[in-house]
Amino acid sequence: MAAISFIAGLNPPASSRAWCSTPHPTLPILATATGTSLRIYSLNSLTLLSTITGGHKRSIRSCAWKPGNSDTATIATGSFDASVGIWSQDEDDNEEWKFAIVLDGHESEVKSVAWSTGGNLLATCSRDKSVWIWEEVGEDDYETVAVLQEHEGDVKCVKWHPEEELLASASYDDDIRLWREDIDDWGCIAVLRGHQSTVWAIDWEPLSGRDETVGSRLVSCSDDVTIRIWKKSPGQEERQAQSRLSIIKSSSAEEWTEEAQLPKTHVRTIYSVAWSKDTHRIVSVGGDGKIVVYAEDKEASKQWQVVAVHECGHQEFEINHVAWTRAKIVGGSVQEVVVTTGDDGEVKLWAVS
Amino acid sequence: MSAILSADDLNDFISPGVACIKPVETLPLQKPEEPHNPYEVTTEDKLPAQDHAPAQISLTDCLACSGCVTSAEAVLVSLQSHSEVLNTLDQHLSMSIQHGNLSEELGNSVNEGKIFVASVSPQVRASIAATYGISELKAGWMIDHLLGGPLGLASGGTHGSGFTWIVDTNAMREACLILGADEVATSMSSPSLNAPSESTSAPKKPVLTSACPGWICYAEKTHPHVLPHLSRLKSPQALTGTLLKTVLSQQLDIRPDQIWHLAVMPCFDKKLEASREELTDIYWRPSSSREPTPPVRDVDCVITARELLMLADTRGISFPSLPQVPISTPSFPDPLLDTFLFPQRESQPSPHKRRRRNQEPAAGPSGGYLHHVLQTQLANSPGGKLHTIRGRNADVVEYIITRPLSHPNPSPHLSHAEQRLRDSSNNIEDEIREDGEEQVTIFRAARYYGFRNIQNLVRKLKPPRTRRLPGAATTTKQASKNNNRSSIATKTPNATAAGNINDYSYIEVMACPGGCTNGGGQIKVDDVGLGARQLKGTDRGNEGMSQKQWLEMVDEAYYSMSSSDTEIDDDDEGDLNMRDDGDEGEGDRKGNEMVNGIDVRNVRNVLRHWSESTGIEMGQLCFTTFREVRSDVGKGAEGEKDRVVELAGRIGGGW
Repeated sequence: MAAISFIAGLNPPASSRAWCSTPHPTLPILATATGTSLRIYSLNSLTLLSTITGGHKRSIRSCAWKPGNSDTATIATGSFDASVGIWSQDEDDNEEWKFAIVLDGHESEVKSVAWSTGGNLLATCSRDKSVWIWEEVGEDDYETVAVLQEHEGDVKCVKWHPEEELLASASYDDDIRLWREDIDDWGCIAVLRGHQSTVWAIDWEPLSGRDETVGSRLVSCSDDVTIRIWKKSPGQEERQAQSRLSIIKSSSAEEWTEEAQLPKTHVRTIYSVAWSKDTHRIVSVGGDGKIVVYAEDKEASKQWQVVAVHECGHQEFEINHVAWTRAKIVGGSVQEVVVTTGDDGEVKLWAVS
Repeated sequence: MSAILSADDLNDFISPGVACIKPVETLPLQKPEEPHNPYEVTTEDKLPAQDHAPAQISLTDCLACSGCVTSAEAVLVSLQSHSEVLNTLDQHLSMSIQHGNLSEELGNSVNEGKIFVASVSPQVRASIAATYGISELKAGWMIDHLLGGPLGLASGGTHGSGFTWIVDTNAMREACLILGADEVATSMSSPSLNAPSESTSAPKKPVLTSACPGWICYAEKTHPHVLPHLSRLKSPQALTGTLLKTVLSQQLDIRPDQIWHLAVMPCFDKKLEASREELTDIYWRPSSSREPTPPVRDVDCVITARELLMLADTRGISFPSLPQVPISTPSFPDPLLDTFLFPQRESQPSPHKRRRRNQEPAAGPSGGYLHHVLQTQLANSPGGKLHTIRGRNADVVEYIITRPLSHPNPSPHLSHAEQRLRDSSNNIEDEIREDGEEQVTIFRAARYYGFRNIQNLVRKLKPPRTRRLPGAATTTKQASKNNNRSSIATKTPNATAAGNINDYSYIEVMACPGGCTNGGGQIKVDDVGLGARQLKGTDRGNEGMSQKQWLEMVDEAYYSMSSSDTEIDDDDEGDLNMRDDGDEGEGDRKGNEMVNGIDVRNVRNVLRHWSESTGIEMGQLCFTTFREVRSDVGKGAEGEKDRVVELAGRIGGGW
C-alpha cells in the first residue's frame, strides 16, 4: 500500500475555520476561503501572497477561478451573506485585487460557485434550494440566464462537465441533478438517486487519458458515508425521451446509473471528493479527519481499491475540502499533490507515493 | 442556532427554522401566585399552565420572513379552495334577483343570504377549451353553466345556491388598458422625471405593470427599489371585484359582505392578491359608514382552473356533459354596466350586441398591457413605426417606436423625452432607416416574463452605486496598502440591447415564463389525456405531448375567435365578429375612438358613470398602493439583538 506523506502547510495558516482551497487551473496560486476573507497563497513558495477582505459581510463558503487566458486572474466567491463576488487582479499591480461586481439574487447562504470550462458561464447554488446560472455579457456585467428550482433542499455543490455545457448539482435532498440548455431554457435532464443522505460534493472525471468511448463519469460523496461513481447509459443520443421535468420545454432526458461504490473507508460524513487529472485517482476527506486515496483497478475497471489512508490529517478537526494540484516541493520539482483544508484553518499539502 | 444569535460563521447544518420576526414582545401578565413562599420549591409539572394570548401575524409580516414563507403562504392559499366555495354555497342561500331587485320572498332571510357573483379570466377559458377540444367561447358557456346554470352547482348543495352573475374579466381589463396608457403618458410628460415620488403620485419612468401578484409580492419583499416604478392600477381581478361590490351593494341596498365574489384565475398567486388589505372595502367605503365593520375583501375567494374542475367533481357534476350554450342571467342592476359586462346578451338590440374581441398574439397572453400602450402611442404618432427586438430569450422582447426625423411633431409634450432619447445614441437607430430617411426614437418599451429575466430587470433598475462595493481592501504580505477603490466601469452596467433602462417608458412584467396561460393553476399536459377521453368524440392524441406543445394549444385557444361561433345570432347583420383590419388607429364607427379594438370613449364613459353613480372617486376605485415588506431578522442595531436575546432568556430560552 502506498503512503500519504505530509509535505508542508501553507504559511501562515488562518486562525479560524477554512472552508475551501481552490488551485488556479494554470498559475501556481491557490485561494483559500477563511472567514470573510480570501487568502491567495503561492504554490511555489508556499507562502501568503495577499489577503482580500471587505467584500462580503459573512464567511466565504466557496471560491472558483475563472478559466481562460487572460493576463489577469479572476475569482468568484460565494458567501453566506447570499451574495456572489467576482474579483479581478489589478492590471497594474498583480498583488492588488478589485471587487468587480456583486451578484445578488440568492435568498440565503451561497454554498458553491463554479465556472464552465469556457469561462463564460458561472453556476451558483444556495440553501434556498436553487441553482442559478449567470453569463458574462460585457465587462463586469453579468446577467441571470437561469434559475433552477427543482431541488427539494439545500444545494451543496455545483460542478461543470469538463467539456460540455452540462452542470451537475448535489443537494441535501439526497439527489444529484444534471442540467442542460435546450434552446433558451435550462432544464433538468437527469436525477441521480441512490444516496441515502445529503450529497456533499461531486466531481467530474477529467478528460485526458481515459477511455474516450465512455463519457466523463461523475463521482459523489455523501453523509451516508459512501462514494459513488455514476455514468451515463449508452445510446442516449438516439433516444428522444419526452421529459416532464421542466415546465416549458421538451427536453431530452438522459439516463444515468450508478456504476460503482468505492470501498468503505470513512466512518463519518464525507465532505469532499476530487478526481485527479494526472493519475485519475480519487481522493476523499471528511468529518473523521481521514484522507483516503483510491485507484481504479486496471484489469477490472469499475472496481476501485484503496491506495492510501492517512488518519487525523488535521489533528482532531474535520477536513472540509480536498483538491489535487501541482506544487513545487522540496527538491525543486513540480509534482502532483493533495491539498486539504480543515476546520483548524490550515491548508496542507500531501504527497501520494 | 438562529440567525439573530449567530451572525457570523454559520455551519452547514440546517437550522430548525429562522426565528419568527414576531417574537413574543409583550409577555402576558402572570397571575400573582398567592402566598408566595420564597422557600417553596416547585417542580415543572406543578407549574400552572399559562394562557398566552394568540399571536397575531398579518400576511405582510409572514411574507417578510423568508424562513417559513412557503409554509405560511401555503396555509393562506389553501384557505381559498374549491372546498371553501362549496362550504360557502352550502351555508348561505343565494338571493334571487327579479327585475333588478332582490326578490321580495326572501325578506326575512336577507341577512343570511348572499349574492353570489363570479368572474372568470380568459386564460382559464383557454385552458378548459384546450383540455376538452372545444372553442374558448363554448368553454366559457360551460363554466357559466357550472357556476350559475340550473344543471351546475345550483342543482345540489344544501340550498341549491348558485352564482347569479358570471363576469368576464376582459371587460374591466379594457379599463385597465386604457388607464394604463394614461399613466404612461403622465409619467412621460412629468417635468421631474427622476424626482422621488410619494406613494400616491404617479409612477416613475419606466412604468412597470403591477397586475401580476407573483411579481408584486416578490418586488415588495426583495426589491423595494422598484416600487416607485409600479403602475398604481388595480388588476382586472381587483377592479372587477371593486365594481361588483360597489355597484351591487348600492343598487341592491345590501352590505358588501353580503356579496360573495369568486374569481377563477390561472394561478395561485391571485389568491394572495385577493388577501391584500389594500383591496378591501375600507379603501372605498364612504366615511360616513354607520358602524365600523371589519374590512370586506373585493374578491372573497380565488380558485384556479384545475380547482374549478375539482369543484364540479366534488359535487358529482360531469363537466364535459354541461350544455355548450349560453345561460340566461338576470339583468345587472345598472343598465349601462349590464351592456358593458354582458355585451352578448340575448336581449341586447342587435347593433350593440357584439362579443368582446379576443386579443392578437402580439398582445401576449397576459392582458396585453404593453400592446395597448404601444397601439395608443402609434395612434398618437402619425408616421410612427413599431420595431420588435427579441432579447436573450423568448420571454424578453424590446419594442421601439420611431418616426422619420423630418416628420412634424404633433404632440409637444413628447419633445423633451424625445430629445433625451436622441442624446443617448446607440447603434439601433443607425440600423433603423425607413426608405433612407433617418429615424428618431420616440418610445421605448419592453416585456420581461419569468423569474430569471426579472432578475436582470431589477438589477438594471438598481441605483448603480449599490451594485458594486468599493473599498474592498487587499493587503499584501509586505505592507498593507491603501484601500483599493474599485473603478466604476466605463460601460454602463444597466444597459440593454437598445439603450439605458431608464429611457424605457413601459415594461410589462409577468412572473410566469410564457405569460398567464402558463400559470401555476392551469391544467397541465399530464392531466389532459383524462379530459380529452371524457368528452366524446374528440381524441386529441395528447399522448407524449410536451408541456411546451400543450402551452401552444392553450395559447391558440386564447387568441382564437372562430367564425363558427356565430350560431347565437344567425339573423344578425354580421356585427358580431370584429375583424382585425381597419381597427388600428381609425374610427370604425362614426364618432367612436377605437384603439387596439377597444372603444376607448365608451369605456371612459362607463368608468365615469360608475364613479358618479356610486359617488366614489375614480382614484379610489381604480388605484391601489404597494408597500415595502421589511424583515427584522438578523438586522437592526446591536441593542435590538440584545433585547430579543434577553426576552428569549426570560421566557425560558430556546427558539
